Amino acid sequence: MSSKTRDLLLTNVLAVAAGLTASGLLLLFLGANPLVTMGTLFGSLFRDSYTFADIFVKATPLMFTALAFGLPFQANLYNIGAQGQFYIGSITAVGLSLLLQGRMPGLLALAIVALVSFLLGGLWGGMIGWLKARFNANEFLVSMMSTYVALNLMNYLLRTFLMESKAEYPQTNPLAQAVWLPIVVPGTRLHVGFILGVLACVSVWVLLYKTALGFRIRAVGSNKDAAELAGINYKRLYVVTFFIAGALAALGGFTEVNGVQHMLVQGFNPGVGAAGIGIAILANGNPLGMIFAAILFGALNVGGTIMGQLSGIPSSINELMLGFVMVFVILAYYVREKLEDRREKARLKKAASL
Amino acid sequence: MSAAPFVELRHISKYFAKVIANHDVSMQIRKGEVLALLGENGAGKSTIMKVLYGLYRAEEGQILVDGQAQAIHSPKDAMALGIAMIQQHFALVQAHTVTENIILGLVRGRYDIRRYDRIVAELAAKHGFAIEPTATVGDLPVGVQQKVEILKALYQNAQLLIMDEPTAVLTPQESDLLMDFVKQNTRAGRAVVFITHKLREVMEVADHIVVMRGGRVVGDLRKAETNELELSRLMVGKEIHDRTYVEDVVHDSRPVGLELQNVSMRDPKEDVFRIQNVTFQVRQGEILGIAGVSGNGQSALCDAITGYRPVTAGRILLNGQNITDRSVRERIRLGLGYVPSDRQRYGLILSMQLTENMFLKRSFENTWVRRGLIDARKLAAYTTEQIHAYDVRATGPDATARSLSGGNQQKVVLAREVDMGSQVIVFDQPTRGLDLGATDHIHRTILNEKKKGKAIVLISAELSEIFGLSDRIAVIYKGEIVGIYRNRDLNTEKIGLLMAGYTLEGGAAYEQQD
Repeated sequence: MSSKTRDLLLTNVLAVAAGLTASGLLLLFLGANPLVTMGTLFGSLFRDSYTFADIFVKATPLMFTALAFGLPFQANLYNIGAQGQFYIGSITAVGLSLLLQGRMPGLLALAIVALVSFLLGGLWGGMIGWLKARFNANEFLVSMMSTYVALNLMNYLLRTFLMESKAEYPQTNPLAQAVWLPIVVPGTRLHVGFILGVLACVSVWVLLYKTALGFRIRAVGSNKDAAELAGINYKRLYVVTFFIAGALAALGGFTEVNGVQHMLVQGFNPGVGAAGIGIAILANGNPLGMIFAAILFGALNVGGTIMGQLSGIPSSINELMLGFVMVFVILAYYVREKLEDRREKARLKKAASL
Repeated sequence: MSAAPFVELRHISKYFAKVIANHDVSMQIRKGEVLALLGENGAGKSTIMKVLYGLYRAEEGQILVDGQAQAIHSPKDAMALGIAMIQQHFALVQAHTVTENIILGLVRGRYDIRRYDRIVAELAAKHGFAIEPTATVGDLPVGVQQKVEILKALYQNAQLLIMDEPTAVLTPQESDLLMDFVKQNTRAGRAVVFITHKLREVMEVADHIVVMRGGRVVGDLRKAETNELELSRLMVGKEIHDRTYVEDVVHDSRPVGLELQNVSMRDPKEDVFRIQNVTFQVRQGEILGIAGVSGNGQSALCDAITGYRPVTAGRILLNGQNITDRSVRERIRLGLGYVPSDRQRYGLILSMQLTENMFLKRSFENTWVRRGLIDARKLAAYTTEQIHAYDVRATGPDATARSLSGGNQQKVVLAREVDMGSQVIVFDQPTRGLDLGATDHIHRTILNEKKKGKAIVLISAELSEIFGLSDRIAVIYKGEIVGIYRNRDLNTEKIGLLMAGYTLEGGAAYEQQD
């Protein structure tokens, strides 16, 4: 057990290091000194509290989308549509906030907005689960395509009902300050959404490992046949699991709109869904691990943005770095399997020769 | 015939990720001899032969063929050396004809199928097999499919034929025919390795016997110099206690625990009946044995009773209550326990801990759930208790099911199902693949549950198990119950005929019960 934990930490640290090294090598081709550039990157992360807090701001939506992938994954379901569910939450949040602001106290409005975003995202996600349960539709494809539906629904609304009063750009009016999520650390952008994200991760962990419902989700994911013979209705669980996943991703949209953007702009945050998948894998599916993995991705994100601002380095270095880290993290998973296998064999060989 | 051996295995060791499969195994295989590889399930018999056949690579050791050291990396290499193996699960293309299966991989480009049909027909005739070369393999009974496998090996002029548990899928009569073939084949100067765990077969067919236990060779003897008692001692490591059935009580006065009335299940895809018109009663405190060759509707019967698949006709009653349309979950709640034959697929969640496997069927109850949360301590305490009660060899309640051996896995399923099945328990092949120690433990448990007054259905392909435990015996053939008898009214010969689809004289089949 301890050697397993050691493997997990060691391989993941090495994977991140290898990812950074590989991106560093590419910097060489650009004629930049990787050591200096990386040094600037990490130095600048701690340069001021605003930049440092931004790591957690960036991590916030990622925790939600990671859960949206990670929870169904426990039921052996693939939710590739977290991006779309995130957008559904964003649309709901911005539309409802604009409607409610000024008509009631800000906190009450926020609570209602959060709840409705959660429910609508849940319905959106639950629909995918229902299609899977009812027609055995491939949830991978349905969820993936549902992102495009959500995206274009958002684009449509931004040019019609939700379009700003000036009617110039496809974006909404800014939200009144009353419906902004409160700032946690003054002088930074760090808002309550981060705490919500951490709470969501902890809640999903409790759900999975401490409740009967979560147990059933994992049972269906590990052995559907045995679960079915134990009286578990896996079809109902498909719907429930996708409902929770969609609701969580939508909550991520809510925190992003009411916490950071304070409006909705066409095509915003296009990578949170994909990054969420990577984070869930990096955390080995463990919701608590996703908190830390999301923070790591947040840091790479902020660092990459800073790096992109340096002269002579393209801003795409950001995605490149994340991509490299992802590849090595996935490789690390297989390395761990191999190590475990080899240990087991050595143990048996020893036992046999006694 | 004591010339140099055709094949010699020297000090072969093979480890899998989880088990020692073979340790320092050596043996010699000679032409003109039948070598019986005897041992319990899991003793490493199949593994060592799969090493020889090139399916597995050994960690240590040497293989010599005709005195030459050989590296066998694939079945193709083995075939080139004249070694063929017939697996327990046949490697046949169901949709192809007999000839097509036999020449598969051995012809290139354009070929004249009728010429090969003739060659196959001649080969079959030469060995006394009644096989139509143009028949589609999927339409043939299992016993004939096995002959196609054998023909495939003979066609490639195999000098050594390895047969892995060849009689497992055969009726007693078919087995006899197979034995005859094996003897005739060795008389023709070829070698046969016969893998089995049945002593009777060994004594009938073998010239030379290698006994394996726990991945090692524990005995290497000539048949003429040994006897069944010695072999069984070697195989088990201790003497078998003869546990024949003594009690002969008529249970007719007791209430009926489980009743099936004209139950049929039609496979919607294949449009055939998986079971048809099955009717029986099991009374409380009674064991009804269901005998039959595997694949004659046993799994459909389980599906029907557990509610895993809907029946297309008939009624199922549990303690007089109609449960035909009840869900799996409701049937469990009413006290139906089920020990499935494939425990790894249907009985356990291998990646989960023993505690979680115990919780599996109780996730809807409040036994171990308090204020919405699972009471881990209570569950662990219960699991520990069960581990001790059933003598499960595990590191603790938090061990994963996967880390346990087959016998211990089955004990876990048994512990749970005995607890869940307060009224009726269905055992489907409860001792399949287990060593005698575990088997004995399970038999004791079944008899104990019967004493408690539960109605028990015991499905098994092992006749000794059926005869040893059942009060009454039903024989299933092609999805139909061909007769239900008192235990004492049947013997091996009679049941063998019934299992092969014959009816007993006097029209005793379909005997009505009161």
